[in-house]
Amino acid sequence: MNRVVKAGLAGGAVTIFLGLVGLIERFADLSLVGEQVTFSRLILVVAPFIVGYAVGRPRVEHGERRSITAREALLWGAVAGAVAGALVGVAAVAVDAFGVERVRAVFIQVTQGLIDFVTLGLEPPIVGAIGLTAISAVAGVLGGAMHVVPDRIRKPIVSAIATILALGFLQRVVPVAMAEIDLETDWLYTSAGLTWFGAAVIGGIAAGVSILKTWKGDVIRDAIRGTTTGSQIGVEGSAPRGGTSVLRTVILGGAAVGLFVLPLVVGSVVSERLGTVMVFILLGLGLNIVVGYAGLLDLGYVAFFAFGAYATGILTGGMLNSFEGITPPVIHADLSFYVALPIVVLLAAFVGMLIGAPVLRLRGDYLALVTLGLGEMVSVLVASPWLTPLVGGPAGMRDISDAAIGGISFRDPKNFYFLALAFVILALFVSRRLYRSRIGRAWTAMREDEQTADAMGISTTSYKLLAFAMGGAIGSIGGALFAVKIGSITPASFQVFVSLQVLGIVILGGLGSLPGVVVGALVLVGLPGILREFEEYSFLAYGAALVIVMLLRPQGLVPNVRRTRELQEEERAQDAWAAEKEQEAAVEGVST
Amino acid sequence: MKHQRWFTTLALLGVLSLVAAACASDDDGGGGGGDGGVDCATVEFGCVEVSADEPITLGSLLSISGDTASLGTDSNHGIELAIDDLDDTLDGTPGQLLDHDVELQQEDDLCSAEGGQAGGTALANDPKIAAVIGTSCSSSALGVADKLLSDKGILLFSPSNTGPSLTAEDQHQPFYARTAHNDKIQGAIVAEFVFNELGLDTAATINDESPYAAGLAEAFRTNFEAAGGTITAVEQIDSGDQDFSALLRSIAEGNPGALYFPDFNPACALITKQAADIMPDAALLGSDGCLATEFFGTAGDAADGVYASSPDVTVFQGGDFYKNEFLPAYSEQFGTAPTSVFHAHAFDATNIVFDAIEAVAIQNDDGSLSIPRQALRDAVFDTSGYQGITGTITCTPTGDCATDVTIGIFQAPGWPVEGGDPNASAVYSDTKSLADVS
Amino acid sequence: MADREGGVARVADVRMSRFERLPWRRIILLILSIGLITLTIIGSVATLSKPPGEGGYSGATWAGFVVDGISQGAIYALIAIGYTLVYGILRMINFAHGEVMMTGAFAGFFFAAAYAESGFLNRHPITAMLIVTLAALIVSMIVAVLLERIAYRPLRNAPRLVPLITAIGASLFIQNAFRGFFGPQARGFPRPDILIGNVELFGLEIPKVRILVVVVGLVCMVLLQGFVARTRTGRSMRAVAQDREIASLMGIDVNRVIMITFAVGGILAGIAAVLFATTFEQVRFDMGFKVGIAAFTAAVLGGIGSIGGAVLGGFLLGLLQAIGPALILSGFGIPSPFALKDAFTFLVLVLVLVYRPGGLLGTGEQEKV
Repeated sequence: MNRVVKAGLAGGAVTIFLGLVGLIERFADLSLVGEQVTFSRLILVVAPFIVGYAVGRPRVEHGERRSITAREALLWGAVAGAVAGALVGVAAVAVDAFGVERVRAVFIQVTQGLIDFVTLGLEPPIVGAIGLTAISAVAGVLGGAMHVVPDRIRKPIVSAIATILALGFLQRVVPVAMAEIDLETDWLYTSAGLTWFGAAVIGGIAAGVSILKTWKGDVIRDAIRGTTTGSQIGVEGSAPRGGTSVLRTVILGGAAVGLFVLPLVVGSVVSERLGTVMVFILLGLGLNIVVGYAGLLDLGYVAFFAFGAYATGILTGGMLNSFEGITPPVIHADLSFYVALPIVVLLAAFVGMLIGAPVLRLRGDYLALVTLGLGEMVSVLVASPWLTPLVGGPAGMRDISDAAIGGISFRDPKNFYFLALAFVILALFVSRRLYRSRIGRAWTAMREDEQTADAMGISTTSYKLLAFAMGGAIGSIGGALFAVKIGSITPASFQVFVSLQVLGIVILGGLGSLPGVVVGALVLVGLPGILREFEEYSFLAYGAALVIVMLLRPQGLVPNVRRTRELQEEERAQDAWAAEKEQEAAVEGVST
Repeated sequence: MKHQRWFTTLALLGVLSLVAAACASDDDGGGGGGDGGVDCATVEFGCVEVSADEPITLGSLLSISGDTASLGTDSNHGIELAIDDLDDTLDGTPGQLLDHDVELQQEDDLCSAEGGQAGGTALANDPKIAAVIGTSCSSSALGVADKLLSDKGILLFSPSNTGPSLTAEDQHQPFYARTAHNDKIQGAIVAEFVFNELGLDTAATINDESPYAAGLAEAFRTNFEAAGGTITAVEQIDSGDQDFSALLRSIAEGNPGALYFPDFNPACALITKQAADIMPDAALLGSDGCLATEFFGTAGDAADGVYASSPDVTVFQGGDFYKNEFLPAYSEQFGTAPTSVFHAHAFDATNIVFDAIEAVAIQNDDGSLSIPRQALRDAVFDTSGYQGITGTITCTPTGDCATDVTIGIFQAPGWPVEGGDPNASAVYSDTKSLADVS
Repeated sequence: MADREGGVARVADVRMSRFERLPWRRIILLILSIGLITLTIIGSVATLSKPPGEGGYSGATWAGFVVDGISQGAIYALIAIGYTLVYGILRMINFAHGEVMMTGAFAGFFFAAAYAESGFLNRHPITAMLIVTLAALIVSMIVAVLLERIAYRPLRNAPRLVPLITAIGASLFIQNAFRGFFGPQARGFPRPDILIGNVELFGLEIPKVRILVVVVGLVCMVLLQGFVARTRTGRSMRAVAQDREIASLMGIDVNRVIMITFAVGGILAGIAAVLFATTFEQVRFDMGFKVGIAAFTAAVLGGIGSIGGAVLGGFLLGLLQAIGPALILSGFGIPSPFALKDAFTFLVLVLVLVYRPGGLLGTGEQEKV
């Protein structure tokens, strides 16, 4: 019971935190479905729900895996939820008693409106607090119920709700996309989120898909992968079937076509966001080589990004925004983008080696700090008055080539998407080849145990330099594309945070995993780009996401199998230690 | 070999992607039928079609989040008051333009080129947008938002951009204009003030890494030297720094009579505080980036006597309207005194756009409106002798509408913002036109 | 056996990279050293030879630089100790340590602001400041300990990259949480009247507050050194830092010791926070980030894992930042040399690490992990 109460308190604390930070107040009007399901209301019930779910999970106790009975799950869920709600309610009542304005002098987001909202608008606040507790208890029960309900009912429900919520959040994007392909949107969206009818339809479809997956999941998976699952041939596991399946080709072909048709479907606005995502995918792929493959902790990747952008600007006729008007930089060339690009890439590779050279002998954390410093140096330099005659200082550069081929300007978001896509495909290809080549294997050896690799005769120096060079080269392409996309660059875009962002993308997706980089970029760059209302909270969410992912799933979202094994070995050691601790605690508990 | 196959597939896809790009041409939405001299179907940039029951949509591209949030939000308030004023009363209920409601669609310029592109793209691709008031920061407009919107024939009217290059001959975009002053003027007037009024012939400048500060500092230096003064030091800081003592000591070495630091807070406040200790005899001058409530909180006692240059709001107050109707309405509707000076420019800009819409919109028989974009732009650029609350407005062909700009130098605690003295008047004020300083 | 060993050695020799066989590295390093020393001398001489006011500086100004540098260095040193303690024990960079300091600063701020308004601050400045500092160090300590429990402890055996990322995430999270709580604007931190103004010492005008910072900083460092060297807990900390497993076998409660380490680091950061806030009279949600990086740089510069190294690194970094651009860069006629302050500091760091990968007081050799 102790554990249940603690979980409830944690949940309540989270809700209070979200209130203090301003999320509840800020989005009080953002309705997701109809006008009743607003974002803020959702927040109020999400924490108790999750807590209820968490306490109902089967756990390891006394060395045994113990599953929860239905009654326990529901009961504990209720208690946890109630505690969470009670905590929030009590806090609200306390604030009210103490005086909202006095609290607001310190915590600026605590307004009367917030307190009213949390106490459900009821007077006196204590009644509202009780009401909130009751609602949270129900949410907790529902959370616990997730364990009680059989899979075939749970999955469709979860599917339906998740899809509805997702589409609710995307209310600025999906209607535009639908309008772009001339679909009616009124039945689905109003100016305030989804309609109830639309939500019902979507929920139904999602549930249906989910049911289909459960029933015929095996069959479909086989058809896609060209394998045969046990159920069909009477043995465990799956085995490959000869030849490729038609279904598989069709689906892959469809995906490829979809990828190409995407900008036409979603419109210029989303294409522009996707363009940014593409640039970051490129950066992520480059960093993936340095950090993921070679294991070199580079926190200063923004240096290559900036280098690529500014070098492209200088070489393709970019001009400086100076006070008198447009002036050319002291070094200046007016080449075509496609002629300048190889030069930029080669130079970047060279710079990569220059950066790598002094840090070759440093290990892990030192390397991290030094690269961080180097990245910061570059940010400072491009804004500095010293280099202003070359790169334009604070005002930056403009009129950078739009990489036009035969009249098609790639500054147009839809066209840019394709240009970026081409380079992303190229980078993916190069990464994959590298990974599977001798170089990739050398990197893996170096990463896993440098001394042994050294002793085996692998020249760690050369391979490290190579990693920096390749990473730098790809990163600079990202920078070049970025310059083309916007046409104007200022130092503001090349701050230290970009390095952290790219690192986050690689880690979140999974170190060394190529699809992971894509997923990471979509989540960390695409989502904030699309959910622009949440712009202000993006850093907060980003920080929280990093911590949570590292705690729960350090191998990332789409893990690289080999790396997972590496990490899991550590985890097993850690688990053993954790289990030990629990046993000790249990023993102590018994003896007291 | 498997690799080979993948490679060819990928290469093919790569080529396909470029081909697809060729086919992905964006078609401009042509206007519907209209009458009255302008054929919306054929005129360049077409028309904005507003059906009978739809509102006219105005866009705004301002800094509404982050550190510069007070700047953009303040301008948005100015726009909202202009919409309110459509019925000639500032009472909180919006009026109507040509029997249509007016809706404001707000986008965030993030005070950066990326924000300018993202927000600009969003607005440029929305066929309902009649015109855009924005941007807040020069970096989001220059070469980014101004071009994006000009390419689609959408007017970008800035209440806040002061960077000279935006309206320079070789950089100006046809659909860009601004009611904010050109910083060349502000720099010139401050230089004059320091040289003539304060009688100081040596000065140093400190700008941060923003284009605004860099441009303004340079404008000051150019004019100060032209008047016969000497610049003893030119320094740049990072707006996130806190310790400027080494820098200030270095500057103090050159013994400047004045220190001009046209930066944002809190750097501006910190410099003030530290300079008070290190160079107590120098005259300290900030600019409108500094003119904010935050300054007083951080600078404390050192704030007294510090000058700041800014558009002279007392000129606005010269008319009863601003003092007796506008300001009270602002406080009432938004719960605070204005947090920057550019709300007034936004108000004027919006009203000019409204007048222009009234002039050029084609009222169709079914109650719908067709607003030809080019004509709208031309009508705005033809503005001459318009009496706004920021003064008389006449637009030049390159988009500078604040042609006669009155810049005031205020001395703390008499700064016209919350925390200072909202009713303060300038200790020095001068009006110059762009022609005087170019 | 000898044969085989010899055989392996020779094979490895042959396969050794050309880079490592030729004395290229030494040659490059030599050229680099000569070049740097030359540049430094040229720059310094150029600056010193210019008369004050035309690019040169007067003696009083140099003294001012030094005082600023030492005082800032004291703050860096206090925070750097926090980094170095955690690194010594867990071999991990607590990226969020700067934020720990920031939280203390805010806590202190609310008390200080209240006292300033009621006048208590100036009536009884010492008591008031003590309470303010107490509030700050308590909050910093709590945040540091919470950080360890929630974010770092579960990852104690994870590969090095994982806790680092977590720390970065935690840093961002705390920063923005405080931004959400208290707003993005800077708040003015009041300075008691007795600390306003200069005092004359050795014929120089030195700001009182800077002296206070150095004095308090030094006192704390001495106390800490005493704590680590003489008390039992201190010895436990050193034991765990040296070898965690054996320490645990010896009966030391490793978890508790680690928690205490973080707590001590937090306390020092809280004190540094008040010193910093009083010097610059400002608190801001992002004040911890840059200072944190600078302090971490200082710790590495001096040799991470060693308290003496942290102290040395802190003061050295403070001085470098204050004097470096003035002395060397302006000699070259670089416009706005102070804009390159950060770049200059990092350049120095890189160079130090090239020659002494373990930092100045490090062993001269990178520890082999």
